[in-house]
Amino acid sequence: MKLMKTCREVTGLTLQSLDRNLLWRERLAVRLHMAICSACPKFARQAQFMRSAMGRWKGYSEQDKL
Amino acid sequence: MTEPATRAKQQEMAQQLEKLRPQLLKYATLQLRNAAWAEDAVSETLLAALERPQSFAGQSQLKTWLIGILKHKLVDQIRRNSKEMSSTAEDGQELDDELFHPDGHWRETPQDWGDPEHCLRQADFFAVLEACVDKLPGVQGRLFMMREWLELDTEEICKELSISPTNLWVMLHRARLRLRDCLQIGWFAGAQA
Repeated sequence: MKLMKTCREVTGLTLQSLDRNLLWRERLAVRLHMAICSACPKFARQAQFMRSAMGRWKGYSEQDKL
Repeated sequence: MTEPATRAKQQEMAQQLEKLRPQLLKYATLQLRNAAWAEDAVSETLLAALERPQSFAGQSQLKTWLIGILKHKLVDQIRRNSKEMSSTAEDGQELDDELFHPDGHWRETPQDWGDPEHCLRQADFFAVLEACVDKLPGVQGRLFMMREWLELDTEEICKELSISPTNLWVMLHRARLRLRDCLQIGWFAGAQA
């Protein structure tokens, strides 16, 4: 597996990290990429944002504010 | 031989269930995206509740209990209908190509969405989020909601629906890219202007 990944590959791994633990080599590759890329960290924050938003929405729906 | 007291209690329970039913239906519909399946899942839940009458400290405690039952019924319903789900062909392969140049670089840098807390305090935001989730194609939407709402892990989802992890990740990947796109257009683009 090559160490340097493209933004497209890193985006895929960023999304998968929401559903599974990345392998160590994947984690390393993502970390290295994030250090030199300005776009992918923004995408990663968007992905986290969506996760929080879904959690919050679910919480509201299960309580009273549906 | 029904005692009057028990009978009164049952009546009260029935009234409360009636009152909560629309909320449960909405919850189920968001997950299942199919009115008939949602109706079934909620009916099953309410029947189960009527068979096991218990006392609750209030409406919200009752609702929490019902949602707990409903979640199981939703998974049952998805499992029962999984054949229908997996046979649906859905697009989405072009999503990555729209986002990235052939060399793998972003065509357009993702926008900074700012502090999530700011949006998450606004009711309007959740209306946009709901509309965007609603727009996800059927199977993608259901899988996405199983993961995010029912909070099943990917192993459970794969087992319930007999699909491969790779297949699931592809579908979740597409669902999330679509959702992101929709939020960008429906909320963030406007919020910036």
